[in-house]
Amino acid sequence: MKAWYDTAESLKIALAAIKANKSRGVLTTLGIVIGILAVVTTMTAANGLGNTFRENISTLGSDVLYVSRRPWVVTGNFFQFRNRKNLELKESKLLERRLRRAVAINPSSNANRSVKYRSNVMEGTTIIGTTDKHMLMTASTPELGRFITSFDVRFKKRVCVIGSEVKAKLFGNADAINKRMKIGRDSYRVIGVMEQQGSAGFFGGPNFDRQVFTPITSFTKSFGHRNRGFNIAVKAPPEVSLADFEYEVIGEMRKIRKLRPAQDDDFSINQMNQLVSAYNNVMGVIVLIGLVITGISLFVGGIGVMNIMFVSVTERTREIGIRKAIGAKRRAILSQFLFESSTICLIGGVVGLVLAFGVTGLISKFLMPASISLPIVAVAIFVSILTGVVSGLIPAFKASKLNPIDALRYE
Amino acid sequence: MALRITDVSKTYQMGVEEVHALQEVSITIEDNEYVAIMGPSGSGKSTMMNVLGCLDTPTSGEYHLAGEDVSKMNDDQLAEIRNQKIGFVFQTFNLIPRASVFHNVELPLVYGGVAPAQRADMTNAAIGKVALEDRKTHKPSELSGGQRQRVAIARALVNNPAIILADEPTGNLDSVTGEEIMAIFDGLHKAGNTIILVTHEKDVAEHASRIIRLKDGRVESDLVTQRPESRFGEVLA
Repeated sequence: MKAWYDTAESLKIALAAIKANKSRGVLTTLGIVIGILAVVTTMTAANGLGNTFRENISTLGSDVLYVSRRPWVVTGNFFQFRNRKNLELKESKLLERRLRRAVAINPSSNANRSVKYRSNVMEGTTIIGTTDKHMLMTASTPELGRFITSFDVRFKKRVCVIGSEVKAKLFGNADAINKRMKIGRDSYRVIGVMEQQGSAGFFGGPNFDRQVFTPITSFTKSFGHRNRGFNIAVKAPPEVSLADFEYEVIGEMRKIRKLRPAQDDDFSINQMNQLVSAYNNVMGVIVLIGLVITGISLFVGGIGVMNIMFVSVTERTREIGIRKAIGAKRRAILSQFLFESSTICLIGGVVGLVLAFGVTGLISKFLMPASISLPIVAVAIFVSILTGVVSGLIPAFKASKLNPIDALRYE
Repeated sequence: MALRITDVSKTYQMGVEEVHALQEVSITIEDNEYVAIMGPSGSGKSTMMNVLGCLDTPTSGEYHLAGEDVSKMNDDQLAEIRNQKIGFVFQTFNLIPRASVFHNVELPLVYGGVAPAQRADMTNAAIGKVALEDRKTHKPSELSGGQRQRVAIARALVNNPAIILADEPTGNLDSVTGEEIMAIFDGLHKAGNTIILVTHEKDVAEHASRIIRLKDGRVESDLVTQRPESRFGEVLA
């Protein structure tokens, strides 16, 4: 209780000192405002990017294994995968026969072609040949019309389901269903439009809105069968762990490919988590660099506060002397200046946060969905107080060590 | 007994030279004594004041203040002694410019950890003793020199210290105001306080009942004088 009285006194002095030097306080605080604004915006942007990415990637399905020629994320020597054989359509059928436990197995292939409706052309669109089972693998569904059915696949129907961006580019606001569009040289009838997914494009990932789905049978007929690589998506049964099921898939694939025990796999098993962890690695580094850079601006702001605190201590040397003469202990003087520096920084932090809310609003309006979460607010407040304490520590310590005789004589 | 110093020496290092500001000084001051410490500049007067005021510790010797050995205490312990046992009155008043009269007087109680309600009572009582009730909310800059020194006296009195230590209390005041301030000290002495004046002015020292003269860091003379009783009445009238 006793200690509380001089703590309250210290707080009062600190606030009075800040009030007495308003313009100086504002300038000093500016450094902290900018620092906190930069740090918070960096964290918010990183969160926004992460959320967008995870949302997009969820299209792939978290319980789906993709058997492909190459891994999605290549680390190390890229060329070791070059001589691998393409996966063939018949291998998908063999796998389906062997993997009885799988919920669904879906072969697919893709090609880049221009698509055209009347005079509207979209270059380099990803054309995906797939089956009706595609719907079991992904969370995305057609917004309008329907997806490809087994009937379409079986009878090689020239039908297609288009992504939202393709729809907008070719048809604008007009109805696309049952219109005939050109994929490459062949004419396809639009039977469905996929809902909008958003883009993972900033990460070099696929843009799911720029895809056109066709039955795999008509796809191979239109774009050729030979030398074409296929991917096989395998949906794991819910009762088996994905890791265990992956061994099963690897085992069956090795049998299909007749690999001897000493031979390495000549195919790769991919899954969503690999993209997520690759993303996390890359973003982790980017965010770290961002935080270091913005942290430097906060550090510079902290130096500004430290500088002003030294000025403040020097200005009030005599006052410190008086307070010590009438019984202020070192702790009381120390806390007086620590309160002052941390209050300056706290004010700066709060103002910075308010501005960051504004910037975040702009980001989510024009760039991507982003929001400031409660932990970020807590971290920002904590960091700003910490900056105040750290930058006030040396000046406050200097003040608390002042000899009262010398301080009283100070002019 | 208010205080006793025994064989106190204080040596400063000035470059390569050692300055012996006090050399084996021994003094005893009883409760309710009114003592003036005099001496020319360089006599060790200021050092004496700093040691007696527990602002500084002696290089050697012992200092007992109100029954406690303060000669070996650390900074924080000395701060507590200054807070509880000593009231300072300085030549330049040394009030806190931004704080009101009330807060200036209250400050030793704040650092002493006295609860707010009790603090207000004690502060008002001390302000009453120097007749500044109508200036409580004023800032020091709004007061005259004499009024400022009265605030300083109230601050010195507020926690009923064992000794009141005044360093040239009239040095920055004109002679009439100076006499007024000395009248307050006389009154405090009458009310039972122990007062130590450090001064080089004979007029001021004459208010005391005992004059200790210092020279070259030693006690040159220590005389008990008869203080004319009438003087006190004259000034008040």
